[in-house]
Amino acid sequence: MKPIFNPKSILFKIQKKCIPVIFMGYCLACITLLSACDNFVETDQPSSQLSTPVVFESPTTATAAMVAIYAQLRSSTLLTGSPLGLSNQMGHYADELTFYGDSENSTSGFYTNSVLASNEAVATLWTSSYRVVYNTNAMLEGIAASSSLSLDKANQLTGEALFVRALVHFYLVNLYGEIPYITTTDYRQNRVASRLPVAKVYELIIADLNKAYSLLPENEESGERVRPNQYTAQALLARVYLFDEKWDEASNAASALLNNTATYALQDDLNTVFLNTSSSTIWQFSPFFYGSATEEGNLFIFTAGPPPFTALSDALLNSFEPMDQRKISWTTAVSDGNMTWYYASKYKDNSSVSFSSEYSVVFRLEEQYLIRAEARTRAGDLIGAKEDLNIIRNRAGLPNTTAISQDELLNAVLKERRVELFTEHGHRFFDLKRYGKLDSALSNKIGWNTTDALFPIPETELLLNPNLSPQNLGY
Amino acid sequence: MKNSSLINGSRTIVYSFILGIYLFSSTAVATNRKHYSTFQQQTHQISGIITDGNGPLPGVTISIKGKTTTSISDYDGQYTIAATPADILLFSFIGFKTVEIISSSQTTVNVQLTEDATTLQEVKVNTGYYSVKESERTGSIAKISAKDIEKQPVTNVLAAMQGRMAGVNITQTTGVSGGGFDLQIRGQNSLRSDGNRPLYIINGVPYSSDPVGFGATATVMPTLTSPLNNLNPGDIESIEVLKDADATAIYGSRGANGVILITTKRGKKGKTTFTTNYSNGIGKVTRFMNLMNTNQYLEMRREAFANDGYTTYPASAYEVNGTWDQTRNTNWQKVLTGGTANIMNLQSSVSGGNEQTQFIFNGNYGTETTVFPANFGYKKGNARVNLNHSSENKKFGINFSAGYTVQDNNQPSTDLTTISRRLAPNAPALYDASGNLNWENSTWENPLSHLNGKSLSNTTDLVANAVLSYQLPFQLELKSSFGYTDLKHKESSTFPSTIYDPAYGLGSEFSSLFTNTTTRQSWIVEPQLNWHTEFGKGKISILVGSTFNQLNGQQLVLAGEGFTSNSLIYDLASASTVTIMSSGDTEYKYQAFFGRANFSWSDQYFLNVTGRRDGSSRFGPGNKFATFGAIGAAWLFSKATFIKDGNGSFLSFGKLRASYGTTGNDQIGDYQYLDTYSSNGNPYQGTIGIETTRLFNPDFGWESNKKFEIAAELGFFKDRIFLTSGWFRNTSSSQLVGIPLPGTTGFSSIQANLDASVQNSGIELTLRTVNFQKKNFGWSSNFNISVLKNKLLRFPDLASSTYANQYVIGEPLNIVKVYNYTGLNSVTGLYEFEDFNGDGLFSAKDDRQYLVDLNPEFYGGLQNQLNYKGIQLDFLFQFVKQLNYNSASSLGLPGSRNNQTTDVLDRWQNQGDLGPFQQYSTGVNTAVSSAFIRYRGSNATISDASYVRLKNVSLSYTLPSYWLKGVTCQINLQAQNLLTFTSYKGADPEFRTRGVLPPLRIITTGVQLTY
Repeated sequence: MKPIFNPKSILFKIQKKCIPVIFMGYCLACITLLSACDNFVETDQPSSQLSTPVVFESPTTATAAMVAIYAQLRSSTLLTGSPLGLSNQMGHYADELTFYGDSENSTSGFYTNSVLASNEAVATLWTSSYRVVYNTNAMLEGIAASSSLSLDKANQLTGEALFVRALVHFYLVNLYGEIPYITTTDYRQNRVASRLPVAKVYELIIADLNKAYSLLPENEESGERVRPNQYTAQALLARVYLFDEKWDEASNAASALLNNTATYALQDDLNTVFLNTSSSTIWQFSPFFYGSATEEGNLFIFTAGPPPFTALSDALLNSFEPMDQRKISWTTAVSDGNMTWYYASKYKDNSSVSFSSEYSVVFRLEEQYLIRAEARTRAGDLIGAKEDLNIIRNRAGLPNTTAISQDELLNAVLKERRVELFTEHGHRFFDLKRYGKLDSALSNKIGWNTTDALFPIPETELLLNPNLSPQNLGY
Repeated sequence: MKNSSLINGSRTIVYSFILGIYLFSSTAVATNRKHYSTFQQQTHQISGIITDGNGPLPGVTISIKGKTTTSISDYDGQYTIAATPADILLFSFIGFKTVEIISSSQTTVNVQLTEDATTLQEVKVNTGYYSVKESERTGSIAKISAKDIEKQPVTNVLAAMQGRMAGVNITQTTGVSGGGFDLQIRGQNSLRSDGNRPLYIINGVPYSSDPVGFGATATVMPTLTSPLNNLNPGDIESIEVLKDADATAIYGSRGANGVILITTKRGKKGKTTFTTNYSNGIGKVTRFMNLMNTNQYLEMRREAFANDGYTTYPASAYEVNGTWDQTRNTNWQKVLTGGTANIMNLQSSVSGGNEQTQFIFNGNYGTETTVFPANFGYKKGNARVNLNHSSENKKFGINFSAGYTVQDNNQPSTDLTTISRRLAPNAPALYDASGNLNWENSTWENPLSHLNGKSLSNTTDLVANAVLSYQLPFQLELKSSFGYTDLKHKESSTFPSTIYDPAYGLGSEFSSLFTNTTTRQSWIVEPQLNWHTEFGKGKISILVGSTFNQLNGQQLVLAGEGFTSNSLIYDLASASTVTIMSSGDTEYKYQAFFGRANFSWSDQYFLNVTGRRDGSSRFGPGNKFATFGAIGAAWLFSKATFIKDGNGSFLSFGKLRASYGTTGNDQIGDYQYLDTYSSNGNPYQGTIGIETTRLFNPDFGWESNKKFEIAAELGFFKDRIFLTSGWFRNTSSSQLVGIPLPGTTGFSSIQANLDASVQNSGIELTLRTVNFQKKNFGWSSNFNISVLKNKLLRFPDLASSTYANQYVIGEPLNIVKVYNYTGLNSVTGLYEFEDFNGDGLFSAKDDRQYLVDLNPEFYGGLQNQLNYKGIQLDFLFQFVKQLNYNSASSLGLPGSRNNQTTDVLDRWQNQGDLGPFQQYSTGVNTAVSSAFIRYRGSNATISDASYVRLKNVSLSYTLPSYWLKGVTCQINLQAQNLLTFTSYKGADPEFRTRGVLPPLRIITTGVQLTY
């Protein structure tokens, strides 16, 4: 065998005569390089990155930029069914869920209402939400600068971006109170953004939604209801008007949807409400891949007690009227022989299946009935309100409401919302707040304080942008 | 097979070499005979062995005083020379004291040479592109050599440098094997935490120190995997650290944070020598926290629930509500991290060569198990070869060197340190009666379940280089170096479903795998031209050269979830979903022209000018090029006549030197100036979404770092006392930083040049003394200390910038603004703080106004070396004076479900109690928990973390050579982190990162054979 590192064979073979010649040649080569080398440090654009203007020249890449935003909302912030989302955090923060996990987990702080300004989960919720807002603004600016997108495509994507921008600000204003409304990608402006009065924020949300409504297509192109259309904008508008106490507008927006019975209708069977083919769904998230379980299923379902992370609270379970079919269809009991716990089983799959029949639902028709019921009650139309409320009650196997006065009816709507919309994106917390009932409903929680109605502005944000001061009360 | 043919091949060379020596010496003998015969004196052969007290000393010149006869000792230290009884034999060797012995009629003269500080000034120092005599250098360079490195039982090169160099601060980031080290030369220059890495050069080839790891795939490590673990300390001949402008400016844009030159061992001419070194030892965690036992813990919990107004314990409070046995008591720190790691290392080398060609071949294999209670380990193997050849006429030279390293690391995917400190002491048993993991009816997460998840990494790394040189006419030398590096790093973390409680029925469909494959290739070509001339008393050396360097990196990070079976967890094809978490190729190109001119006059005055023009692809169009340069001067005043003439002067050496210049920094990552979108790996409707890659800034340019230094080097009493003292001031301006941004911008930072200046200044002292020097006994010491000051000099509009609440002009960068803890309110039982703006409220912005400086005030080391006959004892104390976060900052709220240190027992219970700790709470009392959060962000949790550590002890004994004929045998005992003296309240004072495994105390024994 020949040795690998035999000095003789490697070195002695070099002919002495050749050496100067090789070197002279090498020198010449270097000099040539030196003279032409300013270009040496030019590099090509990396293969994994696409220049921003190019993104918005093709409908495919522009759409990829838009769906990235939905993927973010589904997987990592606000509307996600994962522990980071409002369904989990606000479910614990209010009275829907009991926390069983590790006390070091961020959800523990929400459950005990001991969220401080330094809380990382609150900071992440803030920054990841504004990241989504940035992405919508980048969409809007990219489309505006594009010359080759078709008008239809440009309108659709513009409408979607405006819709998401409004949606995110809607949640932020309800969680943090006065907030900056960000409409540009320019960091020089955004880094000194000031908080706007809540009324002003609602004005901007409504303006964005109206514009989105005018640009969005009437029909959702995929047929899977996974992209917002005109009606999705209507659904959010109805909710926003309700929160903004514009009762007529709220009723009208809800009616626009409820009247489109060809597309939207309640499912008679409660077990089909959260299937991806449900006709009551207005907007749902396309799954990570066709076959993955929803984040909600992953989070809530457990098979043995005590629960590893979370279970439905006794308060929620006790609020179901006897015979309420929703308790049977949408909650599931787990027992260890001595004790019994319940989890939210609106979604049935908790692990990947060959083809998932459930998507995470964001907007559904039931809420629109309840929005209209509440708006009508507040506007004095108690009869219309009862009709709407009874539609939801009857479907759950319950008799018509016994509420008579306006107050009774309002409370009946609140109670109905609790058992209909539980563990869906923090409805319960926002409802209690809107009704001014946070203190009375949550005072039995040891950590609850009146000022917990608003989250703190994250401490890190206050440090980086003095215009966000002052901090919310209580922090 | 390979080995034997290698030996055969080299044997031929060795035989021819020996034949040459024989022919040479026989003529010498013949001449001498003629010469001496006239004096009627009989010459005789004298032979013997020359040692340095440690082992044989090859290359020693043996001569006869007043005569031309010389001989050189061979690889075994053996020599032969012919002399008459009246002759005086001189044994001389650079770095050692010359010994004179009258030959008389002895035929065997064994000599032990002792190191001589005086001649160390003649040693050449590598400065990268050129080398200078120690006495003539104008720059600031610290050096350690193989001798010091080999005494330490460490696997990482940076560990070997700790405490041994002035101005170099090194801290370990985890005790888990294969983990990393942080290194800063002369303080923090850049506001970017990842912009302070020095430039590493291995045998002339830049070695990228950018992390190769990825957060999700190296979950056990607190920092991303560093490629520097690839270097084998045993291969290294010397490490030089270039610190000032004069030394670093020739590295231009990449020199701002200092340059670390690593030179590997080279072959030596002489008989082919084999060296084998085997060592074996153990490692244990240095320090534990003093935590509560079950009684103390339960008392705390019960009191916390009572304080919070609970009348019955919540269902999930298993420790106190009777679910768990309240008589159990486990010291979880001992159980989970108190194991013993076994450490083994085997190193062999073959070296030899003749006048023209020398070679060395080094092989190394080491293993290290962990202190965790399971079978994990780290393995590292490497091979390195170095060949050196010059043509017969000495005109042409080539040096080739290549090293290949394989690392295999197998660790749990979770570091159990945090769990071990937090777990209730009455938590259930780890195993049930039948030996399975005990889940105690699903009431706890068995910490050992984490060990089912593994963090594996495998790295292979090739570094090769060749230097060709050719002597042209007119004293010109043409030289070129070529280098190539190729690194492949694969790491993975697994989270199989077996880490979950089986009662939950989670099968392999919940298992996940994260993999990361990073590869990196670079090449460099550096043609250079050298010219040297002398005229009268003057000497001029000029060097010009250029650099072409390219680095390509690829990274692919995949996540697989939902496996068919846990046995298939490493097979991504068996995963039901595979997501690409990160993928990307990067290309970095760099070019430069550099030059150096050195003038000296009568070996007394030296002037050194260096310059470099750099271009880097990391900058946008129009900003790619920049120029750097430095000037250095030295005056060797001990050679001046007025001192030299003062005979018997106690001053044996004196030099003053100064340097000034600029360097730069391009450690900003690639492509930061591009406005692009890239994939976010998150599909929707079957389409992978794309997202803005970064907030882009097309306009950022080079930052500059101006360095100034003056230093004095003084030797007294024949250099037996040698003092180097230097003062430096580095100012970096228009720093390239990721300026932090509030979340409303959508990003956390933007890359830009910050119009601010940061100054690092300091004093470095090195004192080397030879305390005792006799034939059989020697004692010498090395002491170094660095005192550093860091200051933000200038920052226009600081108040309106996003840094307003982070920095203060005139203060160091590493300050933290904290609440000022004023004490415990003995009435409310709550911590109280200073309300700086007096508004009655506490907000971080207004009331975290107390400044604490976390920079070490000073640091250094004291090394002692003693030898007596064949025994050598070496020990190093490392010391740091600093503040650091103590245990109160990492353990959670006292009263919550976290164990605490026993200090916390001194808490407030009733009005009038003085604590010092506030009342317990489970976390629901917002007043208590906000006071606690403020306490954690106050000066109360930052306390003295100064320490003195017996960093290294090495005891070795060389068996007398007559015991084993032809074999030198040395046995040694080595220890690392043996003792720590500190008043620090916490685990280990060295660590900045909390909740990671502290460094290990390592003790090994070894044997080294040379034949």
